Amino acid sequence: MKPVAFDYVLAESIDTTVAALAAAGGEAKILAGGQSLVPMLNFRLLRPAILVDINRIPDLAFIDERADHIAIGALTRHYRLETSPIIAEHFPVVAEAMRHVAHLAIRNRGTIGGSLSHADPAAELPMLALLLDATLHVVSPTGPRAIAAWDFFLGPLTVDLAADEMLTRVTIPKLPPVTGWSFVEVARRTGDFALAAVAVTLTLRDGLIGEARIAMTGIDETPKRADEAEALLAGRKLTADLIDAAIAAVRANVNPPTDLHASSDYRRHLIGVLTGRALADAWRRAGGEKP
Amino acid sequence: MTEQADLDLRPKLIGARIKRTEDPRLLTGLGNFVDDRQVAGVLHVAFRRSDHAHARIGPIDTAAAQAAPGVTAVFTAADFEKTVKPLRATSRMKGYYATPIRPLAHDKVRYVGEPIAGIIAESRYFAEDAAERIAIAFEPLPHVADPAEAAQRGASLLHEEAGTNVLVAREFKRGDVDAALAAAPVRVKARFRMRRRTPLALEPRACVAEYDRSRDALTFYSTTQVPGIIRDSIAEALDLPGHRIRVIAPDVGGAFGGKASLYPEEIFVCAAAHQLRRPVKWTSDRMEDFAATGQAFDEIIEAELGFDRDGRALALAADVVGDVGAYSIYPWTAALEPVQVVSFLPGPYRIEHYRGRVQAVATAKAPTGPYRGVGRPTATFVTERLMDMAAAHLGLDPKEIRLRNFVRAEDFPYRIGSGIQWDRSGFAECLTAACDRIDYAGLRQRQVQVRTAGKYFGIGIASYAELTGIGSRISVAPGMPINTGTETATVTVDSTGAVTAAFGIASHGQGLETTLAQVIAEHLGARLEDVRIVHGDSAAVAGGSGTYASRSMVLAGGAATLAATAVREKLVNAAAHLLETAPGDLVARDGRVTVAGTDRWVTFREVARAVYAEMGRLPHEARGELAASKTYDPVFGTTTSATHIAAVEIDPATLEIKIERFVVAEDCGRIVNPLIVDGQVHGGVAQGIGAALYEEIVYDVEGQLHTGSLVDYLVPSACEIPPLEVVHIESESPTTLGGFRGMGEGGTIGAPAAVANAVADALAPLGIEINELPVTPERLFRLLSAARK
Repeated sequence: MKPVAFDYVLAESIDTTVAALAAAGGEAKILAGGQSLVPMLNFRLLRPAILVDINRIPDLAFIDERADHIAIGALTRHYRLETSPIIAEHFPVVAEAMRHVAHLAIRNRGTIGGSLSHADPAAELPMLALLLDATLHVVSPTGPRAIAAWDFFLGPLTVDLAADEMLTRVTIPKLPPVTGWSFVEVARRTGDFALAAVAVTLTLRDGLIGEARIAMTGIDETPKRADEAEALLAGRKLTADLIDAAIAAVRANVNPPTDLHASSDYRRHLIGVLTGRALADAWRRAGGEKP
Repeated sequence: MTEQADLDLRPKLIGARIKRTEDPRLLTGLGNFVDDRQVAGVLHVAFRRSDHAHARIGPIDTAAAQAAPGVTAVFTAADFEKTVKPLRATSRMKGYYATPIRPLAHDKVRYVGEPIAGIIAESRYFAEDAAERIAIAFEPLPHVADPAEAAQRGASLLHEEAGTNVLVAREFKRGDVDAALAAAPVRVKARFRMRRRTPLALEPRACVAEYDRSRDALTFYSTTQVPGIIRDSIAEALDLPGHRIRVIAPDVGGAFGGKASLYPEEIFVCAAAHQLRRPVKWTSDRMEDFAATGQAFDEIIEAELGFDRDGRALALAADVVGDVGAYSIYPWTAALEPVQVVSFLPGPYRIEHYRGRVQAVATAKAPTGPYRGVGRPTATFVTERLMDMAAAHLGLDPKEIRLRNFVRAEDFPYRIGSGIQWDRSGFAECLTAACDRIDYAGLRQRQVQVRTAGKYFGIGIASYAELTGIGSRISVAPGMPINTGTETATVTVDSTGAVTAAFGIASHGQGLETTLAQVIAEHLGARLEDVRIVHGDSAAVAGGSGTYASRSMVLAGGAATLAATAVREKLVNAAAHLLETAPGDLVARDGRVTVAGTDRWVTFREVARAVYAEMGRLPHEARGELAASKTYDPVFGTTTSATHIAAVEIDPATLEIKIERFVVAEDCGRIVNPLIVDGQVHGGVAQGIGAALYEEIVYDVEGQLHTGSLVDYLVPSACEIPPLEVVHIESESPTTLGGFRGMGEGGTIGAPAAVANAVADALAPLGIEINELPVTPERLFRLLSAARK
């Protein structure tokens, strides 16, 4: 479990990073927290010629509140997201979800940008990006580009990032008032990748669901929004029957993988159970009437 | 009050809750593990391992690897043809085939991960790069992955010379099982499966052979539990006298049986160092650990237990197929694990008629070997599940059916159907104590309440008995190449009065440096801090095997008692001259010899100085070396027993299993250090919970390993282990010196059965039985889906 020999570049800036990426012609990888990359190097699953270390780039780790959104730097560690008062205030669903991301030691090293760029199909951050309609900002030698989260995740470990592009920050629009939320996950052990996880926000208008968002992970090649279930919920009061309908819609529209830890059928079952729980939770938090 | 009376009232060292004296070293990074060893000019090994489960090895092209940067040498089996003698785990068992153990695969490969070539380079990086450059022409052979198929006539053979894949078959019986079962009014029967697992020590295996050119000798540091066995076997393989091979097991980071066998990599490193006349080192990575460290369990058991109408067990019949993997592991043989299943199936119960048949079947998977509990976790799982199934049939409480069937106090010593004899041990006492601690009656009431609320809540009991500290009359496999029945202690008081006690055992997490020092200090009258324990070194005593099989406290503790007592007599005799009194008036305590009832004493240092240095102070006959070497043999060994009780709640929708309470009541005889016993129980139970709920090595039908990393192989972490409650029933063993019973493995033995019974109890309203471990949410989902159909 020793990596193949590689060159190492300590990047000073975003510009030098993308220049190094471009010069390597697809043979470079960015080293951020290293929590996924280094094991893959040691397993010799990846054999990059060059590692571009971005850990010393100034001003790449931040959580900033703006008028209508929150901006998060790509080098922000998971732990900072987990404990940030800004996140706690605006996106408590994120703070809750971060506690499910691996273990503390990993959250101290792992970065937001790394997790989003790596795009493990069972990871929490990509689903949160989808849930919150985040925008991912990338830079290449030819300039910046902004990508909506729902366009970014293309497949397992595959995202819309060119070989010379680097994710630099994520922006998340603030949620409307009277928004309830929930994050629920089933994993084999504390800190494992999710067998299935669901995150929900319900924004109430006049006692009814104005907007429902349901994001899921562990149940397909990429995280997903439950479009059909969201449409069912809009404009209605949450009732037991409506929850059942949403569960059915969710189960009908996912394509979960089978692996050593869970079969497709069990994951499909779980995603329904978790959707039901998350909807009830979010509805309660939004102050909705008891279903 | 006289000083003598005062001394007798002081707390004794044996039985004291003393913090482990090795821990400050280990916890502050001052431990010395094999990989910490810095050796000038050391070369590093990477193995090219098989990616085929079963294939003939054609030509091997090593030219590119030899020419790769940093490479010193590349070895294949052909290079050791004349220099290394294959070893075999021999035995007198009828029809047993002892597979040869070689440093590298010879002619064919028999599991994925079997080493084929060894690359020696300046660094592990260079060695791994070069390993990729070796080209091997494999000729794939038919799959031999399913043990039942492999046992059939006409199956593809792993070892053609054996003529079969069944490496050994045995039968134990007493009485007329078929007739007794036919006549039994109540019978329960099931097919059980315990899935393969791996010991997963925190520190993977590692070894370094240091070569001494001046005398053509090797000092071999290895992460082994059995330095004595490794020394003897390497000496045989390389045909060297024992004094030219010294095997040292320094600090070792856990083993659980996985480091109790001789491994091809160990032979390789010694042979390569000897041939190259250079120091050679190999440190396993986690992938190699998963692929090539001796695995565990993997048995299919068909068992039937018959009862009378009062719930008294009459007859037990079992057929066991053990999937033992590719080789008969050295020196324990392939019989080790599956034969112990049938040996221990009758458990702590009176069952008159018994028949246990077992086949150990070779398959193209990593060899299985010793693992904490050996056979007993599986045996206990089967018998305790059958007991609960029978209780349900008979409308008896699980506690009651066990009490009706335990070997009673008046029955000891009691011989079970497989031939094992239980000496007096607290079977019923453990069950009662565990029930009291967990408030069994209260839990049953709560269960009724939560069931009506639609929750799945279950309570599982597992009682077992095991043989520990086994002596020379009991052997794992008859005619095995080693003696496991004795251990030696050499206790020396040197010329400064310091005490050194040397042993053939090799502590690797058990805290034996503390507990053996407690025994030595107690019997010698020394201060604990003045006693140094030397272990894990084949040069420490003339013969000794190591630490495994819950034996070290019984065997080494017994030898320590004998040797320390002998040295105390020498000290007291010398002191009697110095104090001008009779030896009978003297008491050795706290590092000095005191005239009882007075304030006159001499320190051990003063006695030692008089004996060794101050010629003329003592008469010649009192100047004998303050040392003694004693060997202890418990002959048969002793019985250890326990009851585990688990209470679990299962989420009815997600099927996640949460263990709410876990109580162990155990009888390990006289306790040397309750803190260490608690720690051993905690660790064992955690591993047992792993076997029950998480850990499973998965091979596919082609023999490919799917659990090659800690992402795929799930081991419980602290978050998954509930608070553990331990009750000690301290009934001194009548058969061992000091009354000690072995206790290192028990946690692993009871926990899988207790958890399985608790999960089955929780799901009892659904009519679901738990007959396969680990019971994962996925398996529960399938069981529930099937039950609902």
